[in-house]
Amino acid sequence: MKLGKWIAVCLSTVLMLTACGAKEESGRVQIEFFQNKPEAKGSFDALIEKFNESQSRIKVIQVNPPDAETVLKTRVVKNDIPDIIGMGATDTYSLLAQSGIFMDLTNNSLLSQVDETYVEMLKDVAGMEEVTGIPYSTNANGVMYNKEIFKEMGLRVPRTWDELLATAQKVKEAGKIPFYFTYKDDWQTVLPFNALASNLEGVEFYMDRREGKITFAEKYREIAEKQLALMDYGHGDNFGKNYADGNRGFARGESAMYIQGTWAIPEIRKANPDVPIGFFPLPTGNNPEENKLISGVDTLLAISDRSKHKEEAQQFIQFLLKPENSKQYITEQTLFSTVDGVKQDDPAVAELLPYLEQDQVLDFADHYIPAAVQLNSVIQSFLQNRDIDGYLKKLDTEWDKVADRR
Amino acid sequence: MNKRLTPYYLMTIPAVVLFFVFLTLPALQGVYYSFTNWNGFGDNFDFIGFKNYVNLFKDGNVGHAYWFTFKFAVVVTILINIFSLLIAMGLNAKIKARNFFRGIYFLPNILSVLIVGYIFNYMFSNVFTIWGKNLGIDWLSTNILGSEQHAWIGVVIVAVWQGIAYNTILYLAGLQTISRTLYEASSLDGANRWQEFWKITFPLIAPFFTINMVLAMKNSLMVFDQIIALTNGGPGRATQSISHLIYTGGFEGGEFAYQSANSVIYFILIATISVVQIRFLQRREGDV
Amino acid sequence: MRTKTNWVVMLLITLGTILILFPLYMTITIALKTPEDMLSSVFGLPRELHFENFTNAIQMTNFFNALGNSAMVTTATVVLTLLTNSLVAYAIARNMNRKFFKGLYFYFISAMFIPFPIIMLPLVKLTAGLHMTNLVGLTILHTVYALAFNVFVYVGYIKSIPVALEEAARVDGTSTWGTFWRIIFPMMAPMNATVGILICLSTYNDFLLPLIIISDTSSYTLPLVQYIFQGQFNTDFNLAFASYLMAMLPMIIIYLFAQKWIINGITQGAVK
Repeated sequence: MKLGKWIAVCLSTVLMLTACGAKEESGRVQIEFFQNKPEAKGSFDALIEKFNESQSRIKVIQVNPPDAETVLKTRVVKNDIPDIIGMGATDTYSLLAQSGIFMDLTNNSLLSQVDETYVEMLKDVAGMEEVTGIPYSTNANGVMYNKEIFKEMGLRVPRTWDELLATAQKVKEAGKIPFYFTYKDDWQTVLPFNALASNLEGVEFYMDRREGKITFAEKYREIAEKQLALMDYGHGDNFGKNYADGNRGFARGESAMYIQGTWAIPEIRKANPDVPIGFFPLPTGNNPEENKLISGVDTLLAISDRSKHKEEAQQFIQFLLKPENSKQYITEQTLFSTVDGVKQDDPAVAELLPYLEQDQVLDFADHYIPAAVQLNSVIQSFLQNRDIDGYLKKLDTEWDKVADRR
Repeated sequence: MNKRLTPYYLMTIPAVVLFFVFLTLPALQGVYYSFTNWNGFGDNFDFIGFKNYVNLFKDGNVGHAYWFTFKFAVVVTILINIFSLLIAMGLNAKIKARNFFRGIYFLPNILSVLIVGYIFNYMFSNVFTIWGKNLGIDWLSTNILGSEQHAWIGVVIVAVWQGIAYNTILYLAGLQTISRTLYEASSLDGANRWQEFWKITFPLIAPFFTINMVLAMKNSLMVFDQIIALTNGGPGRATQSISHLIYTGGFEGGEFAYQSANSVIYFILIATISVVQIRFLQRREGDV
Repeated sequence: MRTKTNWVVMLLITLGTILILFPLYMTITIALKTPEDMLSSVFGLPRELHFENFTNAIQMTNFFNALGNSAMVTTATVVLTLLTNSLVAYAIARNMNRKFFKGLYFYFISAMFIPFPIIMLPLVKLTAGLHMTNLVGLTILHTVYALAFNVFVYVGYIKSIPVALEEAARVDGTSTWGTFWRIIFPMMAPMNATVGILICLSTYNDFLLPLIIISDTSSYTLPLVQYIFQGQFNTDFNLAFASYLMAMLPMIIIYLFAQKWIINGITQGAVK
């Protein structure tokens, strides 16, 4: 009968699909490692391969989607949390940590292997006494410059805000691009903000803001003005180029400076391995002694509290924390290690090391701003309409709105 | 119960169940969550009554998403219909290789909206800008997607480029049902082209016009893939559509319940529009 | 009365064709160039063909796995949709005089204009709870969501099929099921073609549903893969375009061979 045949076709299709959906490698425990850095996909792949070959019991799989924080939250909503999560110490981390989805690592032996300063930083960001993440690497955010262009034009590394603008002015007068702005990607617009806000007002501002003692309108005018001042030294299409364009452009020597994080260096070198990169902290005021470097936890490793393979997950983290593996990772990614004794010796970031060694560092300001405020798009919009009053008011109303909902 | 009817019930019940579970139930759940302050993953939440709804009406971002989406939908619908009607009339005229051209114009319809978006994203930033510079045209030498005022035009261009395909085919089908003799008769009466169009062509393809308007409107109200591929809602929130807001906001911590409330409002609005449209379609069906 | 070719219209139509084809020309040429070629000329034809972009993209995105997933979901959805949706529509169309079925008709088609985002958030939780965050779940959801539009077009079509044939069959002792499969279903062939083509295109190209439903990397469909690899494509547009082209190619190839059939099928649906 025809009907029977149709049903058979139908069923077998569904069965075929189910069979494919459920394929699993026999014998090995599979754990999923979710991380948010597209730049680091290759580096982690190499380490994972090494780990998978080093033993025969565990198999790690990496997942690295774009807009990873949103994807991660979707996964959390689905109650389908990856075994290991690698992410920045951001507000999203704080929110997830407070919802209790991560395993408590407070007295775990893994923690004793990393620098305590960063463990403290994590506690601050999360606003919790328990520690639920292992800081793995840290980054720095500042101004990248092309050493060759600086040498040709006889420029010196600026140490103050006025010197910075003067340097940019000289580059501009020579008909070159001072800063390669990449503001089609909204997250890029936050980089100067982080340096300015952390240096000029400090992260204490956010503690007071949470209690409603203070407003952006009262304190952030200078920051806003300086954000705008930088915009005079861009190129013709500041809002039309994205992060990828910027990395390629800077690699080709199209601009003298590039306000960026150290994480971009491997991407830039992919486009041109020989570009002579230097790096200095963004000067925000006119006293060079007071100027600090912006540095935060680039990747922390957390384990899902609902994971069925916590043992195996810790084993993998232990593997990543081995000095030689940490070294391999930070070398490829031009980041800094939290593991004692592992040093970054890339010449491109040599100028930053003194700041790190003397603890002249401040955390990213935006790590303290709720993600739902959507700081990125607020700043991106402000830099276009240049309305300082509107911008500060927007920051205050968005902050209150989100606080009201929590 | 009439025994003869049993098979008919058996034919429909599974579909009704699935339909209820995957469409009606989630919609009801959304309504339920919209009265809470749940963030989507925490263990506990409270009922907060209409607070989400009150906040929605005070929220400029939500208002802007609605404004953008409706502006976008109206402009796209009008442009798609004008262009596709013109192209269809061109294809219906006496030209060579009509099937070849018809095939080309339909091609965009089979392509993934997301991928087309990525291709245009590249062209907006790296191709059109080069033309602009070479030709010395200022507005063309910067990426339109980077401009807060004009980015939405970029999204419109992509939506129209792709949306024309389907509507052109429908209009062409409509035009081909019109007999040549009607035009011959009118040309004997001395009617010019313009009169011919409004007196003969348009009334006869009116049903196609309705369906095309409805389809184009429906698709553009749900715009999501293009936004993801082209602007991700930016610059700022200039091109954030309602779908995009619900997706990003809903999974952005603390907004699950809030965006559920937004969905409910959106649903009420769309439902109102739908009722009007279905009435319209039904009346047409009654005529046939 | 035979008129000559209208050259003015012909010219305009040709110009329009260029607008349609230009982005595709760019896609193909960029996919075959290297970043260095791009520096010298963005628009020109590639000086030599760099097929390594394709091999690299295949390796990087695990292309054949994604293609397999897309093909499976699309095929299964088309088959399932044709079989189930037509059946539901038949039951409704033949009982429109009864309150229950008439109510069902409106229940189904009222969903036609409900935007997906409305149910998106709860759906994520629901499918996760039912363990449907995989290709099977995706297939079922596509089929269920197609119901609204398909019931609308099928019912319209079935109404135009005279009942006399079915009555004759019934007199011969054929069951209602038998009548449907042996008499009605074959008669709906043109409408099945229309529905099949539309559902095939929409399933193959869908992005939002897989985005929120699928979480296992090995189940990614082609559009999802393009999204997921944006980060890795960043520095190499040529690689990205090779990947885009490959993702679109299966549909383009099918279209090249079945163009007339596809367009007629879609036209059919609208005219009826």
